[in-house]
Amino acid sequence: MGYLEIKDLEISFPTPKGKYIAVKDINLSIKKGEIISIIGHSGCGKSTIMNAIGGMLTPTGGAVQIDNKTIKGSGPDRGIVFQNYSLLPWLSVYENIFQAVDSVMNCSKKEKNEIVEKNLKMVNLFEHKDKLPGQLSGGMKQRVAIARAFAINPGVLLLDEPFGALDALTKGTMQLELLKLWNLNNRDKTIIMITHDIEEALFLSDRIVVLNNGPASTIREIEVVHLPRPRNKIEIVKMPEYIELRDRLLHLLTDKFSIEDMGMVYKS
Amino acid sequence: MSDKNTLTIDALDSEVNVLTERKMRSFIDNKKLQFILNTLLTKSKSVFFAILGLLIFGSFWSLLSLYTKEALPTPTATLTVLYEMLRDPFYDYGPNDKGIGLQLFSSIKTVLMGFLMGSVIAIPVGILIGASTICKQIFYPIVQLLKPVSPLAWFPIGLVVFKDTGLATIFIVFITSLWSTLINTSFGIASIPQDHKNVARAFGFSKMRYLTKILVPYSLPHIITGLRLSISVAWLVIVAGEMLSGGTGIGFFVWDSWNALSLEKVISAIIIIGIVGLLFDKLFTFIENKVSYKA
Repeated sequence: MGYLEIKDLEISFPTPKGKYIAVKDINLSIKKGEIISIIGHSGCGKSTIMNAIGGMLTPTGGAVQIDNKTIKGSGPDRGIVFQNYSLLPWLSVYENIFQAVDSVMNCSKKEKNEIVEKNLKMVNLFEHKDKLPGQLSGGMKQRVAIARAFAINPGVLLLDEPFGALDALTKGTMQLELLKLWNLNNRDKTIIMITHDIEEALFLSDRIVVLNNGPASTIREIEVVHLPRPRNKIEIVKMPEYIELRDRLLHLLTDKFSIEDMGMVYKS
Repeated sequence: MSDKNTLTIDALDSEVNVLTERKMRSFIDNKKLQFILNTLLTKSKSVFFAILGLLIFGSFWSLLSLYTKEALPTPTATLTVLYEMLRDPFYDYGPNDKGIGLQLFSSIKTVLMGFLMGSVIAIPVGILIGASTICKQIFYPIVQLLKPVSPLAWFPIGLVVFKDTGLATIFIVFITSLWSTLINTSFGIASIPQDHKNVARAFGFSKMRYLTKILVPYSLPHIITGLRLSISVAWLVIVAGEMLSGGTGIGFFVWDSWNALSLEKVISAIIIIGIVGLLFDKLFTFIENKVSYKA
């Protein structure tokens, strides 16, 4: 029995043309402290599943359970990092985190301040605490968003394409930062991450969930990543298992491999 | 031996430091001076062009008054009268002869009262329309129907209801002040990005926290823009309103001067009306800049 159970999840939306089924028959059992990546093409319902776990969407069928309790709505047991940071532009970095902590936690103001400071230091942004989000770079904004999600000390961390908007170098650093935070928490937090980057999924996750194309998409395959932790980006790419896995994922996600497969022929 | 070496090197180092510091300082001074000079240059440029514009306008005016054989007073004649009016703005020789300052204050008071009452109604209704589709469906058709109506058309209704010209004038300013504020407020509220709402949901914000940390800060710039547009139109309307209502006020002053065939006074009043309108606009633009944020 896993810590987080997704059972027969189905989500559909009413449209003028009738019911549109976004995802169906999703069954997934996630252990505590596991890092799971959900990967698939755009529009295949990755975010829909994420929103259902986050409680932003009510499933039309099936259920999401944490510790054997069916979730209803959003809650402090799940911290969400949104794709576009979603910081409030009129609040300072400090206030952005403080408002979340103040809203969720039941403790004294002093303790809340300590929590905010601790999390800001954890992502190395303490000296920027009085800046507004508009004054920060993309990577820094994402670190604030991650600190905000960690600050409410959730059991499950949901990351919706967290590094999708960052450049390749910043992305690499941020992936390491995420693993660092996960390690600091005794690998206690369950992390579910949406991505469309195969390398990122392989570097971070224990298991990779591949969805097939929508509508009515479902889990196509679950790949287990056996690479030993801590992983070193340069080392793991040489491991035969990494190469084999990457090829398999690439096959799952790509139907066409060159323009010749699209029916075009080079004239010589 | 080695000690000596380090010493000399240290001394050299500090000397170099002093030198660079001095250089840096004069460099910074230069930069500062350059910056000040640059701003002065751009400022004086814009002042120069503004004066140029006024001169062109003034010469057209002179030509026109020449053409009308000075039925339209010349700029100099007008400015002399304006100067006379401004020398003693607060005299009061009975109901039909008051200084320009008193007239202006009366108008400003009327505008502010109508504007404040209008805003007190328009902002909450705007929030309702922006936040709820049902409210929008109820109120929006009424707004669309009444918005294009000239506020002066409301004057008779004000007279019937309040039986007092002063109150009726405040009433038309009140009606005028509603629309822009209401529409801008509802637009601001309705356009709160889903991202911000998601944050509130994900972190379980209470209604109060949502209101004070998301709804108000996001929509405040929109509301202030609405207020700015409202007060501009209210200031436009007051002149016409006071022409109808009579008594006191800058609009009455214009009409009264026209009846006394003093076009110099009319034009002077126009200049003053323009300046006050400009100041209102500047005030709200200032507040707008204060409450706006960078996304």
